[in-house]
Amino acid sequence: MEIRLVEDGPWRSRIEQTDGMRVPGVAFAPRELLPLEPGDKSLEQVANVATLPGIVRASYAMPDIHWGYGFPIGGVAATDVAEGGVVSPGGVGFDISCGVRLLAADLDQEGLLPHMPALMDRLDRVIPRGLGRGGLWKPPGRAELHEVLRGGARYVVEHGHGVPRDLDRCEDQGAVDDADVSQVAERALERGARQVGSLGSANHFLEIQLVDAVLDERCAEAFGLRAGQICVMIHCGSRGLGHEICGDHVRRLDSAQRRYGISVPDAQLACTPVDSPEGRGYLGAMAAAANYARANRQWLSDAARRAFRTVTGADLDLVYDVSHNLAKLETRQTDGARRTLCVHRKGATRALPPGHPDLPPDLAAVGQPVFVPGTMGTASYVLTGVADNEAFDSCCHGAGRVWSRHRAQREITSGVLRSELADAGVTVRPTSWRSVTEEAPGAYKDVDAVVSAGEHNGLGRLVARLVPLGVLKG
Amino acid sequence: MSPQESPVCGHRSVPHTADLCVEAWAVTREECIAEAVRGVLASFTETSAPTAAVRRECEVRADSDARLLAAVIEEVIYRMEANGELPVDVEVTTAGAGVRLRCEMVSTDVVGQIGAVPKAVSMHGLRLAQEADRWACNVTLDV
Repeated sequence: MEIRLVEDGPWRSRIEQTDGMRVPGVAFAPRELLPLEPGDKSLEQVANVATLPGIVRASYAMPDIHWGYGFPIGGVAATDVAEGGVVSPGGVGFDISCGVRLLAADLDQEGLLPHMPALMDRLDRVIPRGLGRGGLWKPPGRAELHEVLRGGARYVVEHGHGVPRDLDRCEDQGAVDDADVSQVAERALERGARQVGSLGSANHFLEIQLVDAVLDERCAEAFGLRAGQICVMIHCGSRGLGHEICGDHVRRLDSAQRRYGISVPDAQLACTPVDSPEGRGYLGAMAAAANYARANRQWLSDAARRAFRTVTGADLDLVYDVSHNLAKLETRQTDGARRTLCVHRKGATRALPPGHPDLPPDLAAVGQPVFVPGTMGTASYVLTGVADNEAFDSCCHGAGRVWSRHRAQREITSGVLRSELADAGVTVRPTSWRSVTEEAPGAYKDVDAVVSAGEHNGLGRLVARLVPLGVLKG
Repeated sequence: MSPQESPVCGHRSVPHTADLCVEAWAVTREECIAEAVRGVLASFTETSAPTAAVRRECEVRADSDARLLAAVIEEVIYRMEANGELPVDVEVTTAGAGVRLRCEMVSTDVVGQIGAVPKAVSMHGLRLAQEADRWACNVTLDV
């Protein structure tokens, strides 16, 4: 498909509507953040998403956009359910409900430093990650795993591995209610049973971070953050269970879509109407994986909390937990009418504005916390949702890759990376140094530029800047 | 990531911003699938000392050649995660409408990790086809 990219001022570009596109594309990024390397398919993917039946307003790209499969990573698209709008598993991604949670310690850097080596040793021992390391909890049988798929973080907290605030400060209070376990295949359950409470590998991590700067005192206070404070950030998702569900349902929707008169320009965009047996089936299975992901992060939080208490005596309070790979049915006033939309966010974070009814009471005045992790050598940011967000209350989810894993391993040796991180005062405990070079800071966009583009495009407002002190990677 | 290449058969990884892309080629369809599996394994594993392996066999079917390639790699990923085993040697032969997969498996505990662990096969850019004098494939995996 031919891409006609037009700069729309200094902070965003538009992909003009051409044959097959039902809406234009909008990239919330200045030119220097756009993936314009020859052969990169990201913007073509934004245009492909614009062909989906029922899509409304635009196919959006966040400032951290990069090449995915089907949808770009950093893609947002909403479809109108009453107008035959579709759901596409490719618009959620393989790692269903992959997301970030931030926990704040009642500890500052001075209090942490004497304990840092022992804390890193303990976390290194207890946090499962990388190839074949199992999980923190093995469900005794299928019934218990089904309870996780229905109950999410609520199930984990009810069994003594968390506190009520962990649910108050989790998207959907820890679980979505419409999980349909019958739509989850046995193979997905088998993969999931071995991985409850595990980080995985690639860009997933557990980091000890320092609040380096507070940029909005009122929001930071409501979130439970202050300058100089120690935090823990966890990034992971639904592990093999989510991947198996995505693969199963892409195949199922691919076989079914012709019956609905749908053809798509990329097989990974397979879709059917939300209001179809296949669409509802996928959403039920996706909800089960979303609950698994929240339970996964809850288990990891519980282990981190125990390590902190044992080594430092400090506790960890959940700031928030939010997914960045999910589709949600949301009723919205959109372009002059009240509609139920299926909002796909793939590599994009929901960012509710102040006053939104889904916010917990103590965040109602300030909006929803949004997390934008950088890299193991650079800053991460906390933002808050703002009113009048054009992209259906969505924001960027990370720095966004610019190098392939291939190029990262070619450009960065593990020795150089170790030395760079040591100079920056960051302790890293990887499963494999060679593997972790794929995640070198140079492989990503400048996270400062990404969040700045997010703010200028009205996707969120900066609240705090965090820097890494200790990193666990798989 | 040194390419394991020869004019007759081989595999290599190719750049993709987020994921793992593998190209493979061989004289037959079955050997091309086996080369792709070797390419996937080479991207993230390193087997050190020889260790006792156990043979596993299964049949894999799909409604197209490309889907068959995906299904074989998905089988390897499934066994890695559900059983904690990875192949150190792989053989693919014809079997009715599909293929027979024979793997010499070892525990993931004895396999070194040198790259991001693949978790799923994407349909994006998936291809297995006969060219002039050989079979060739492309596959993108989510890691």
